[in-house]
Amino acid sequence: MTHDPAIVPSGPRQAIDGHRLLARAVGFGRALRAAGLAVDLSSEIDFARALGVVDIGDREVVRAAGAAVFTRRRDDRPVYDRVFERYWRRRSLQPNLEAPGNEQRPEAVPSDEGTAQEGAMPGDERSDLPDDRQGIPIPTEGDADQDEAAPDVVTISPDAYSRSETMRHRDFDRMTAQELRDAERLVDLLEPKLELRRTRRYELHRHGRRLAPRAMFRQNLGNGGEILSWVWRRKVQRPRPLVVLCDISGSMERHSRLLLRFIQALSASSAVKTESFVFGTRLTRVTRLLRDRNRDRALANVADTVTDWAGGTRIGESFRDFNHRWARRTLRSSGVVIVVSDGWDRGDPRLVEIETARLRRNCHRLVWLNPLAGTPGYQPLAAGMRAAYPYIDDFLAAGTVASLERLGEILAGGRSADTRRGSEAAAQVAPSPNAVRTFSPPPRVARRPQDPFAAQPLR
Amino acid sequence: MTHALTSTDAITEAFRERGYIADRSIATAVFLGLQLGRPLLLEGEAGVGKTELAKVLAASLGTRLIRLQCYEGLDVNTAVYEWNYPRQMLEIRLLEARGQAEHATAHDIFGMEFLIKRPLLQALEAGNDGEPPVLLIDEIDRADEEFEAYLLEILSDFQVTVPEIGTIKADRPPRVILTSNRTREVHDALKRRCLYHWIDYPSAAKEFEIVQARVPAAPESLARAVVAFVHRLREADLTKVPGIAETLDWASALMALGAADLTPGLVDETLGVVLKYEEDIRQVRGDTVKAYLAEAAAGR
Repeated sequence: MTHDPAIVPSGPRQAIDGHRLLARAVGFGRALRAAGLAVDLSSEIDFARALGVVDIGDREVVRAAGAAVFTRRRDDRPVYDRVFERYWRRRSLQPNLEAPGNEQRPEAVPSDEGTAQEGAMPGDERSDLPDDRQGIPIPTEGDADQDEAAPDVVTISPDAYSRSETMRHRDFDRMTAQELRDAERLVDLLEPKLELRRTRRYELHRHGRRLAPRAMFRQNLGNGGEILSWVWRRKVQRPRPLVVLCDISGSMERHSRLLLRFIQALSASSAVKTESFVFGTRLTRVTRLLRDRNRDRALANVADTVTDWAGGTRIGESFRDFNHRWARRTLRSSGVVIVVSDGWDRGDPRLVEIETARLRRNCHRLVWLNPLAGTPGYQPLAAGMRAAYPYIDDFLAAGTVASLERLGEILAGGRSADTRRGSEAAAQVAPSPNAVRTFSPPPRVARRPQDPFAAQPLR
Repeated sequence: MTHALTSTDAITEAFRERGYIADRSIATAVFLGLQLGRPLLLEGEAGVGKTELAKVLAASLGTRLIRLQCYEGLDVNTAVYEWNYPRQMLEIRLLEARGQAEHATAHDIFGMEFLIKRPLLQALEAGNDGEPPVLLIDEIDRADEEFEAYLLEILSDFQVTVPEIGTIKADRPPRVILTSNRTREVHDALKRRCLYHWIDYPSAAKEFEIVQARVPAAPESLARAVVAFVHRLREADLTKVPGIAETLDWASALMALGAADLTPGLVDETLGVVLKYEEDIRQVRGDTVKAYLAEAAAGR
């Protein structure tokens, strides 16, 4: 990336001009790519064409044109603007591009422009590059190589935790490689069991319960329009998307690593869409970071990005952030939300209650994994936990592989939708937060049997 | 009257004539879309004028607007084309009745007259005899990924393949506008084929212009008060902040009520026009409304 492309040959005047534009566009595209935007050659060409048609004397128009071509999402825009400022300095824009007739000495830009051959590339671009990378605070795949040398998961794995909290079960922080593999295998087991949601799309199926007129007419055209064979269709089923909100505050520290491993394994699975977030005092989206194929590096990246490891917890604020910024984007097709937290909260329990209720209304099922819940005699008494409890559909222990197995059963949609506990509570505007319910695992009901009349077409 | 739309200024001007106040960056994106023949993907919160832009563009160009509203499960049969099977059946019967069935070939029942053209195919063909239309693919984020994948062929080559007939190609491709509310991320492959523009909420000055353009009957003081109040609401911590559409609705509603100025009582009564969530209304109604109005009065 440090070499100029040999893209500015000498030639007829007209051609030089086009090449110049292209070289500029490519250079700008490269600077953007270095800053982390997904820029490909075709957008660079587009930008060169754009420079040919807009008024390049107008800086704001050039900026808008580049934005239209190079950015792909809203979050790209601040990065783009920064690179734009750097690359298209006010003075270098016009003299270079506007007057092809002044080929002889168009570079009124200071001497750092270099020779005429590479004059189309702003010389300062290369020297600026490292700055760009530092200056833009958004971690990207492009920066991954920098993190190669980063320390491995040690940052996540705590060694200073309170002995008094030790539980009877073998916990995640002491997991051996074998057990880690087990946890991952568990995810594989879980995959085919994930709860399905009927989409609005149909597929032809012999046991469908609706007629498929199109296919039927089509198939029977060969019979001269006589309907001799019947064709059926049914709705396509897909696993519900999962959203995981994982608490990484101090009290959860010793569970974080395996839970993240578990989330990571879920994310890697192609069968189900998983969005993952971690929260302590604020919410951070880690979906993209966890997608890294190198799993240790992914965890290290998460560790580097998240700034509130092992600090306090603000469940209410974090949930609110999720509800406002992410719920609509990630729970669109009624996903399952899994919260992993012990419910120790420093914030306002009332806020936890409001936001949990809102979260519950936005999703299909709200599952709460609590590492403490495996302790015999556990009651959801922590302020945050107590506030959230009425809205939870499934309250489970997390902390051992066995408990994650139970999660697998829950995610498989063990019970029919209308027996959900959280739905009733969420529907009420102001439920009594004092109603502490005794904790017992919700009863499991066998998967709803198929409608016996469903697959019986009239023949 | 239609415009040539040969520069960003011409676009701004043409849009303004039709009551759409576009800033330079929008005008530039639209202009590039027209010049480079690229679809334009517009993202932004609900009610910032994404769909409206497509309508205004069609009006400015003096062409048809063909709109495809996306939804989950939208498929080729409803978006592109479908064979008119009942008519084909009838045709077969007719051929039989006339005793021509033996000589009939597939072409007799798989001809263009049996093809029901849906919006995308209409848009491809409309340009062949006249000005290419504006194709609005609205709320692409509501469609599922299968459909998005199908759009790739259409948006890059502007052609559709109907197996029985062949490939139908647009001689003069339609101008395509896609909109998304970001309820999910549109796939990168689709984004790569489009120009992109994020439409933000406008500044107070610009929104005031919009209100004046769209609700010309509203007195200036009322328009300013409405815009100021809505801007204050956008800073508040609400489930759903009002868009421009809500501002305009509100201004119209206030006009219908014969209001001359914003009073706390009036705001409380009409808050449902601006805020669409019960908890938001409860949060703002009463003291907060008074506080906002007092702020605005002090700032004036």
